[in-house]
Amino acid sequence: MAFPGVAWLAIFFLVAFYAVVCVAFGNEDTLSQPVPFWNPLHWNAGYVLQVLGNYWHRGPYLTVSIRTIEFVALSIGLCLLIGYPVAYYTARHAGRWKGVVLLLLIVPFWINYLMRMLAWINLLAPNGWGTRMLHDIGIERVFIWLGLLSARGGWLDGQPSAVILAFVYGYIPFLILPLVVALDRIDQRQIDAARDLGASPFSAFVRVTLPLSKVGILAGCVLVALPMFGDYYTPDLVSASTKTSLIGNQIDEFTRQGSEKVTGAVLTLVLSAFLLLLMFYYLRTTRQATAVAEE
Amino acid sequence: MGHPKDRSGLTRRQLVLGAAGGALGLSAAGVLAGCENTTEPIGVSGGGISGPASKLVVQRPVGPGGLPLPRPDNAVTWAITPDNPPIKDGRPPEKGPLNVYNYANYIDPVTVKKFEKQFGTKVQIATYNSSDEAIAKLSAGAVGFDVIIGLSANNICNLIAQKLVQPLNHSYLPNLAKNIWPELQDPFYDRGSRFTVPYVVWMDGIGWRNDHVQEDIAGMDVPWDIFWHSQAYRGRVGLLDDKRDALSMPMQRSAMHSGVRPDLNTEDAAIINAAGQALSQLNGICNIKVTITDFQTLPEAKTVLHHAWSGDLLAGAIYYMPKGTPSSVLSFWGPDQNGVVQNDLLIIGRSAKNPVLAHEFLNFFLDERNAYANFVNYNGYVPPQKNVDAELLIKQGLIPKSLAGAVVRPDQFAANQELLQLSIEGERRWDDAWSKFKAG
Repeated sequence: MAFPGVAWLAIFFLVAFYAVVCVAFGNEDTLSQPVPFWNPLHWNAGYVLQVLGNYWHRGPYLTVSIRTIEFVALSIGLCLLIGYPVAYYTARHAGRWKGVVLLLLIVPFWINYLMRMLAWINLLAPNGWGTRMLHDIGIERVFIWLGLLSARGGWLDGQPSAVILAFVYGYIPFLILPLVVALDRIDQRQIDAARDLGASPFSAFVRVTLPLSKVGILAGCVLVALPMFGDYYTPDLVSASTKTSLIGNQIDEFTRQGSEKVTGAVLTLVLSAFLLLLMFYYLRTTRQATAVAEE
Repeated sequence: MGHPKDRSGLTRRQLVLGAAGGALGLSAAGVLAGCENTTEPIGVSGGGISGPASKLVVQRPVGPGGLPLPRPDNAVTWAITPDNPPIKDGRPPEKGPLNVYNYANYIDPVTVKKFEKQFGTKVQIATYNSSDEAIAKLSAGAVGFDVIIGLSANNICNLIAQKLVQPLNHSYLPNLAKNIWPELQDPFYDRGSRFTVPYVVWMDGIGWRNDHVQEDIAGMDVPWDIFWHSQAYRGRVGLLDDKRDALSMPMQRSAMHSGVRPDLNTEDAAIINAAGQALSQLNGICNIKVTITDFQTLPEAKTVLHHAWSGDLLAGAIYYMPKGTPSSVLSFWGPDQNGVVQNDLLIIGRSAKNPVLAHEFLNFFLDERNAYANFVNYNGYVPPQKNVDAELLIKQGLIPKSLAGAVVRPDQFAANQELLQLSIEGERRWDDAWSKFKAG
């Protein structure tokens, strides 16, 4: 029964991933093209050690990695802050409009990601409609006051806040949808029971709804975190400043051209290893949460 | 490396024309036979003359296979070998179809149609996104391209080392001697134009919006200084997203200050790192953007000051001006000497199935009228034709006077420098400095 899944995993993940590993543990020829070493017995750890040394000596790879983690964490936090109430409303209060609300949430995302980002670039240009509107309704002033925007109309001037907001905008539906499903599945009787036993609406939410939606929260976070960690085109499009350069940008720089394609492969491995740790945490927590829910 | 068409950014024109964006992902293919298994990168030590004789000459950087890396003071004549001879004189062109390999949107489809009509053939164009990608595909030998457009002098060593190109028979190319600048008839990277003819030329300089930037940049002692005094334009200043072009900019600046001729193909780690540190200062000064979309952002005033390829300003003026904005708001300055000029090439693939037709194609695009149509109707990059100059373009109302400097002159071409292939060790030093700067 598991064969299709195993075949899928083997073809689209294991083989590709093994190729990256063999490039990372391989070498370069005299044309600076990567030469993968397919036999693990021949692996060359030189490039991997070089990259790890860069991290150890607090080199530029560490700078971009820490920045990436910060940007992704902030983006996920904002996604949750915005997405949870939306998902909660959709699942529990939209009633017969639930389908319509879900459709409205998804419709903008029928448009290609890059097209949406390019649209925002025009909206947020110094004279763009979006910039003028944000100025007129005072949001621009709030951002400048908070230190998140350096000057009037400067949304695209290379602001970290612009990259984070673009991440949130670009990926939030992937967080909302699993959350809606998780919240929808919660048995109304459990919440009623909490209320009957004297819990206030807030207390019932914190003690019952929130823990029961933990699986959905985690699944949503994983779904948005994975693409965000590898994203390089969003910072390129909405900022292009070196101050918003992420690990994905470094990998793109190395692998697209130049003499350090193997280094690019090593950085890909480092990123994968980090994501693997997060995945283990996710799997462990979901298993525990499911076990608790079943008890 | 150094080519304006090595673009990762999506542009409106690419979207409008329905072209694909950047190439994604890692290519793990391309296993080359005979690789050694060492823990040091292969080829670090290079080659060159060895033994006692090596002490009698100044060592020059060497490229793949120990081939000399061409430099203006180290011109190279590539040998024509018996296993790869040029075609015979006086043969009729083949029926085609002609297979052309080119950057996306880098040749005028209307002019190509004209060629098809004239020779009763079809031209099939396949595209690449970077010179690296092109060379990797050509060396994989999958397809027999007749004509390859857009590679430049810095790729020539790789092309020759891997035997990917065939020698030209000049009896099919009368337009070369007739129309092309004398400076590019017998270039240092290919003496006698044995394997290549030039396609277009460009230079690195400064593009700006003269309605936003108050300073007289062209009148400054060292115009490059403007970037280090650009606090007023914070967030709207750009640097070319290309390690060679970008790092060579502060090198030119400091050489201009001290009145010396820089070596923009240096492999000296101290000079390269100093250039990287100088660029890093720009993060604080103007939060510099690292992009290659200046041809669009300058016309739209999303950036007002940009390190730029000359062709981008011309393309910007011709195609990208928003309604109501005259192209005279764009200005360009490029150095008369010690700056960066580049040209790229038309070459014929070694496994070309239509070599005579391919020669005709080259000759067709060396023709004055066809080269001009390709330039002004589509490409925006200047062909090195004797009769195309800034005065002519201004007179025809194609470009404003403020962009006269963006039309490269032959004397500038001679006094500036090309960014050329480095040794592997040298390349790595540039890569390291660049990645350090780009990490912010």
